Amino acid sequence: MIEVFFQYDFLRYSLYTGLMIGFLAPVVGVFIVVRRLSMMADALSHITLTGIAFSLLLGRYYPFFAGLNPVYMGMVFSISGALLIEKLRHMYQYYKELAIPIILSGAIGVGVLFISLADGFNNDLFNYLFGSVVAISETDFHVVIVLTFLVSLVLLLFYKELFFLSFDEEQAVISGLPKRSLHFIFMILVALVIGISMQIVGILLVSALMTLPVASAMRWARGFKQMFLYAVLFGEVSVITGLISAFHLDLAPGGTIVMTNIALLIGSIALTRKRSL
Amino acid sequence: MELLQQLTFLERGVLAGLIIGFICPVVGAFLLVRRMTIISEGLSHITLSGIAAGVLMSQTTALLAFINPLYTGLIFSLVGSLLVEKLRQIYKHFQELAIPIILSSGIGLSALLISMSTSSYSEWYNYMFGSIVTVNLNDLLFIFMTGIIAMLLLAAFYKELLSISFDQEFAFTSGISVKKMNFLFSVLIALVISMSMKVVGILLVGAMVTLPVAASMQFAKSFRQVVFLGILFGEAAMIGGIFFSYFFNIATGGMIVVTGLLLLIIALLINKIKKIMNSYRLISSRKEIVK
Repeated sequence: MIEVFFQYDFLRYSLYTGLMIGFLAPVVGVFIVVRRLSMMADALSHITLTGIAFSLLLGRYYPFFAGLNPVYMGMVFSISGALLIEKLRHMYQYYKELAIPIILSGAIGVGVLFISLADGFNNDLFNYLFGSVVAISETDFHVVIVLTFLVSLVLLLFYKELFFLSFDEEQAVISGLPKRSLHFIFMILVALVIGISMQIVGILLVSALMTLPVASAMRWARGFKQMFLYAVLFGEVSVITGLISAFHLDLAPGGTIVMTNIALLIGSIALTRKRSL
Repeated sequence: MELLQQLTFLERGVLAGLIIGFICPVVGAFLLVRRMTIISEGLSHITLSGIAAGVLMSQTTALLAFINPLYTGLIFSLVGSLLVEKLRQIYKHFQELAIPIILSSGIGLSALLISMSTSSYSEWYNYMFGSIVTVNLNDLLFIFMTGIIAMLLLAAFYKELLSISFDQEFAFTSGISVKKMNFLFSVLIALVISMSMKVVGILLVGAMVTLPVAASMQFAKSFRQVVFLGILFGEAAMIGGIFFSYFFNIATGGMIVVTGLLLLIIALLINKIKKIMNSYRLISSRKEIVK
């Protein structure tokens, strides 16, 4: 079953990338869920689509962008999307929760416009939306390794600060934590992880990999650290099962990975029925 | 009926667009005050899996070939709205987790079903991003009927919905069943989503529900004004979007949303300028007092 993944280079790359995603996405996801930002991940992943579409459009006119992996433009867009959301929150002070749907739906609208201008309604778009097993090239793979290292390093460095901010924001601010810059760093991390993961899982499904394993882990974990352990465990299991079944059954890997996650979630909820959260 | 049959494909599309541009903001206004706008995103994504399931069923089983994917989409989004309520109970302390879970499982399921089916990609893109020229007579009838049902429901329960939106506790003590109203609300959203997706596209329905209301919020001074201005913005986005998409040959859904977005940006700018003017006036009047 899994041998074939070691036979071919491109499959090996996506398997290793998948393993890294299965680690990174749930770890960042724990912070996202605990900080009640889970919708934020969705909004950022949707705005990544706009960036990718923009890059595809530019690629038609400027050869430089044609050679560039659209994912990078996607990351830039998702970081600016995070900033815009903060801005909108200030504008709608009494309806702060409106910021995310505005950005989310607006982003897809603009994305569709770009795609349509670039004549991009084709096979490639489907891979961007729902993921592909063969999307990772050698250079992509190296970038993924570097980014994974970087994100993990930053997370380790700021673990205490993020932890503090997640559980008691007021206390954290009073004790002098720079909330805004920490939030900004965190959003960059999220944008990077979305960029890394989307090549395999697909844009529309990245956020699933961030929230679903954490939602299952919450049912089991008895502490914050345990939550990481369980989340990463569920994440890895889903990525491996998803990738293998996607390859053998010729399905979109994003779909199989997310459905494995859903199965794990339903199992977790059913098995931990009596516990209250 | 006779009249509807005589319409050209473009007229059908425009008519459908106008109905949608009317109903989306009305429901959106209620969602806004209940702070639930995000639910439209979750439900619209799960409608996509309903559509995918419908298409797949009609392709694989000859017996089920008559199924219109619109109806399976409607059923899925109804089930989805019930699931959201259920998940809210399961994750009591993290209620906001319910919608991302539904949203991502909806998309995940659709990714699976889509990659299983044999339809061409362009058909899926029509469902996801909307296409005005594919609205046929049956779809128009569906949009018409669901539109009327949604309006009737809204008119019949206007008072109850209003009171539950603004003061849930008061509504409860005055004997309104919150559970029933919540269910009714979910039905409304599901109806609106399934009627709009043919023109605006599933991934963009949420925009039609949110953007016009967000823009009208900038000017409105009462709930009624939010609704009326919302309809105005919604229709303007529709007409503008359809016009430009036809003119520049761009995907309809995208253009409609972008028009809505532009209206929102203009509304925000006008409001900002007003505020600056006001503060300027304040400063100059103070100066005069000092003098």
